[in-house]
Amino acid sequence: MSDRHLRPMSALAGLAIPGRYGKAGGEPGVTIVERLGLGLATVAARKGAPLRAAVKASYGVNLPDDSSVGQGPELSFVGYGPGQWLAVSESLANESLARDLAQRLRGLASISDQSGGRTVLRLSGPRARDVLAKGLSIDLHPRAFSPGSAATSTIALMGVQLWQIDDTPSYDIALFRSVSASFWRWLTSSAPEFGYEVTTS
Amino acid sequence: MTSQPNRLAQGGVIDRTKKIRFSFDGQKFTGHDGDTLASALLANGVRLVGRSFKYHRPRGILSAGSEEPNALVELRSGARREPNTRATTIELYDGLDAASQNRWPSLKFDVLAANQLFSPIFGAGFYYKTFMWPASFWEKVYEPAIRRAAGLGRGAGLPDPDHYDKVNAFCDVLVIGAGPAGLAAALTAARSGCRVILAEEDFRLGGRLLAERYEIDGAPALDWVKAAEAELESLPDCRILRRTTVQGVYDGGTYAAIERVNDHVAVPPAHQPRQRLWRIVAKRAVLAAGAIERGIVFGDNDRPGIMLAGAVRAYVNRYGVTPGKRAVIFADNDDAFRTAADLADAGVAVAALIDARKAPSAAAQHIAEGAGARYLSGAAIERVGGGRGVNAVEIRDAAGKAEQVDCDLVAMSGGWNPSVHLTTHLNGKPQWNEGLSALVPGSLPPGMSVAGAAAGSFGLASCLAEGLAAGAAAAAECGFAASAGKTPAASDDSGAASPVWLIDKSRGKAFVDFQNDVTVSDVKLAAREGFRIPEHLKRYTTLGMATDQGKTGNANGAAVLAAVTGRYIGAVGTTTFRPPFTPVAISAFAGHHRGPDFRPARLASSHAYAEEQGAMFVETGPWLRALYYPKRGEDPQDAVNREVANVRERVGVCDVSTLGKIDVQGKDAGRFLDRVYANTFSTLPVGKARYGLMLREDGFVLDDGTTARLAEDHYFMTTTTANAVKVMQHLEFCQQGLWPELDVQTVSVTEQWAQFAVAGPRARDVIQAIVDSAYDLANEAFPYLACGDVTVCGGTPGRLFRLSFSGELAYEIAVPARFGDSLARAIVEAGAAFGIAPYGTEALGVLRIEKGHPAGGELNGQTTAHDLGFGKMLSAKKDFIGRFMAAREALTDPARPRLVGLRPLDRADLIRAGAHLIPKDAELVAKNDQGYVTSIAYSPSLGHWLGLGLLARGPERHGEIVRAFDPVRNGDVLVEVRPPCFIDQDGERLRV
Repeated sequence: MSDRHLRPMSALAGLAIPGRYGKAGGEPGVTIVERLGLGLATVAARKGAPLRAAVKASYGVNLPDDSSVGQGPELSFVGYGPGQWLAVSESLANESLARDLAQRLRGLASISDQSGGRTVLRLSGPRARDVLAKGLSIDLHPRAFSPGSAATSTIALMGVQLWQIDDTPSYDIALFRSVSASFWRWLTSSAPEFGYEVTTS
Repeated sequence: MTSQPNRLAQGGVIDRTKKIRFSFDGQKFTGHDGDTLASALLANGVRLVGRSFKYHRPRGILSAGSEEPNALVELRSGARREPNTRATTIELYDGLDAASQNRWPSLKFDVLAANQLFSPIFGAGFYYKTFMWPASFWEKVYEPAIRRAAGLGRGAGLPDPDHYDKVNAFCDVLVIGAGPAGLAAALTAARSGCRVILAEEDFRLGGRLLAERYEIDGAPALDWVKAAEAELESLPDCRILRRTTVQGVYDGGTYAAIERVNDHVAVPPAHQPRQRLWRIVAKRAVLAAGAIERGIVFGDNDRPGIMLAGAVRAYVNRYGVTPGKRAVIFADNDDAFRTAADLADAGVAVAALIDARKAPSAAAQHIAEGAGARYLSGAAIERVGGGRGVNAVEIRDAAGKAEQVDCDLVAMSGGWNPSVHLTTHLNGKPQWNEGLSALVPGSLPPGMSVAGAAAGSFGLASCLAEGLAAGAAAAAECGFAASAGKTPAASDDSGAASPVWLIDKSRGKAFVDFQNDVTVSDVKLAAREGFRIPEHLKRYTTLGMATDQGKTGNANGAAVLAAVTGRYIGAVGTTTFRPPFTPVAISAFAGHHRGPDFRPARLASSHAYAEEQGAMFVETGPWLRALYYPKRGEDPQDAVNREVANVRERVGVCDVSTLGKIDVQGKDAGRFLDRVYANTFSTLPVGKARYGLMLREDGFVLDDGTTARLAEDHYFMTTTTANAVKVMQHLEFCQQGLWPELDVQTVSVTEQWAQFAVAGPRARDVIQAIVDSAYDLANEAFPYLACGDVTVCGGTPGRLFRLSFSGELAYEIAVPARFGDSLARAIVEAGAAFGIAPYGTEALGVLRIEKGHPAGGELNGQTTAHDLGFGKMLSAKKDFIGRFMAAREALTDPARPRLVGLRPLDRADLIRAGAHLIPKDAELVAKNDQGYVTSIAYSPSLGHWLGLGLLARGPERHGEIVRAFDPVRNGDVLVEVRPPCFIDQDGERLRV
């Protein structure tokens, strides 16, 4: 047995370096932080299973029927298709979320761990919408998209799931791990106009 | 030269306190803030700005907008040099550097101007008729020569150094054009609280109000513009896009627009794009794009100094520039004669008002009196004096008497054409309006309305009223309470013309389309030769082509065509207007997606490690995979040979994360897989993997891969890298469309798992060093095709599969992708003692060819299970996709080309992929072609080249010698037909 423990590595290692970039002066138009350690898992309802009640009982969450976020104390469920959700949790970190879901929703839902397969970025700030508009063809105007709204779409030819956190506005964007470097190139060529800051928390 | 001799002391919307230096053809000038290059050149007395496309005729400035056909210049230099930019739309900036085009050696003396002496032979269709023979000369001789002689500007020939953005925007109401109608529409819409985008091509709002001396509510119209602009800017959900041209209309209320963010500066400021391509989705749109004036077709009507009347007013009123010292006005409408008043008030002598209409106009006569000019009705210009600029015109009056009038400026107008272009992009057909003598919008794109001059309502009061109403209606249709309110007081002169279309008796070339040098005689010739509809006329004569797409010439072209074919102009029709409205830089379409960002690249989690090892990479679909890992000084073939030998003799590691991975779960997962795979999976025990073959509905092979059963209700499928997306779509279709009753859920987990193949006789030693000791990996405990959950390196959760693509003892080990980099390093570290080396996709390919496993070259969409030797895998006990069609006679015909191994008879020979397989002594003709070589490799294990191929009746012909004939690369070798597997035919190494 190898005595070296495996170390996790962000797909943005060497790319997302904390600092202030682009237009100087004033408040940054957008702040970018990678949300490391999140528990992520896809949850797909089994045929005819009383999943809704179980989720409510286990996690205190009303499963959304549309592309929106069902928020609970421990985790949230982001709807992305009929009977399909991406579960996201800070407290149930990494693989532990999928394990927990598989245990508590046994026979009611098919759970697949995705915590290693996604890079999640949080974009916040007064110009976050303007940055996203350069790649995302979804209307993010407050009348069309508000905290708790979610969407599955593409940005610059890369598949993304995103959901709005608050009115700052802040958005969480989940992308496939393998395109993280390409996504970062798009992001850092779209945000400089507004000035941006990369932080670690 | 005096600085700006033609600049008025006051008036216009320019800032005389700001001097701007610029140069044209190397000569230095100054202009003012608010100028265009065209207005600044005119202010400096420059009339000659270019040479025409075909005849190299001297040309000046015709218009004051984006319709300009003549004044095309090369703007900027070096990598930012941009050809064919219109001087009339270039905002002047300090240091601007522009050059004239299509002249040699200089603008004033141009050698190829001699072309016009030969104009009788340069008529319509000249190139088609002349350069026909020999055909082979077209590409290499004729076309380059023609392009040199008849060309416009030169491209930069260097990568564009600037950044271009694409932006998505959404609104309730999009207003196109910020003239009186557009501003009014935007005001009523935005006041209702709906989301408004106002797009204006110019850098200033106001449209024609900038160019005229109108009043609104008793005050200068520009005061109203200023107030409207301020109000719109104060409304939070109204966005004003200046310097933005709406270029196209698409389905679903989608509009494309180009914003020239930084074309008005020498170099974009740091972090700023040069241009933005907007994709605007609007629930409603109000088209208020105004109208474009047309000229009059008479001899030498292209001489510098002959301008559109509306443009002359724009230069005088907006830019404070007098384009001449002594003017004549030649027009068929009262609107144009107002030019005389504007010129006279600016101190320009107006010699004559020449009215092409037979009946005298009281209004025009009144203006003439005020301007101290003569007024001649039923008259025409028949001759133009001056080469590089007009210096006199010969007028024939109604009585037939000719006289010469000295002048250096002719303001001409044949009436106005509503800008209907955007109404036609979704196949709307404009309609001829006899009263206006112009095409007006016909059927409109869904959600679009038209207001003001674009709809044919030329009077200012009508523009305002229609704009207010259209804005209110659009907002109301979006669910907002809006009212048009009271229309401000303004004049309402209609600009209706009574066109004469063609001054037939005039001498000299009468140009219809200035940019393409299309004359009346070209149109006549085309009509004689049968090109009688505008679309044909356009292709034959080029009328309406190139950068201006005939904005000033099309209507006159249709009128001349009608006249010479004896038809009513309204029946002749028009060409189709397509996007874009004005030329768009390719860079704007590309946006971010240039060079390495042309498309996203998918990187495996061990990418950084592979880079450190000096790997060469290859694109496999969107993935970048390590191709091989050359050591210093090692050539590619040696590197691959070494990697292959290392797997066969010791152990190698390869990142196989790029294979598609799909979780298939649910009570009916086994039944589901039985239906999508040709072989059976419901009987697969938990903890085991099986090779699976998937067919298409038509019976041909779709994909292959291994699927493991991790739990009673959980399978883990793998696909080839190339087909991962296709298979996922196929499964979703089956699940949702074919068998929605099954309890099965599928989700891609390709990204979740970093997976490495560890292959070779020492593979178990390496894996045992990685997997935690709690797991028994002895051959009996974890045999070939076993799988299961493990922990690795002291507790990291992972999965282990005993699978082999190489034919050696092999495992695939998977961990969550964030540990991929670390696991790759740990495997190499742990394997060092056993001689481990990473191997790339090239070695992977060699290993599988040595083993005769089909892959991309064989799974090509044209092969069946029988062809590949998998006939026995087609289960007879169950139904599955492709079962019925795969049983068709032709698909199981033993005469079909089927998979074989190929070995050169002379072991030193090279076999080439793609070579055709022909019986040894047969003639080299197509009917003897019996198949081809699908994959080749140099086998370091065997010491010679070998191949896989598809050969008719292949499995029956083992031992036969055939020719592998490659006429393209002079390959012609004898090869021996063999079973596909060259190494360890019994598969003993897999199971040790």
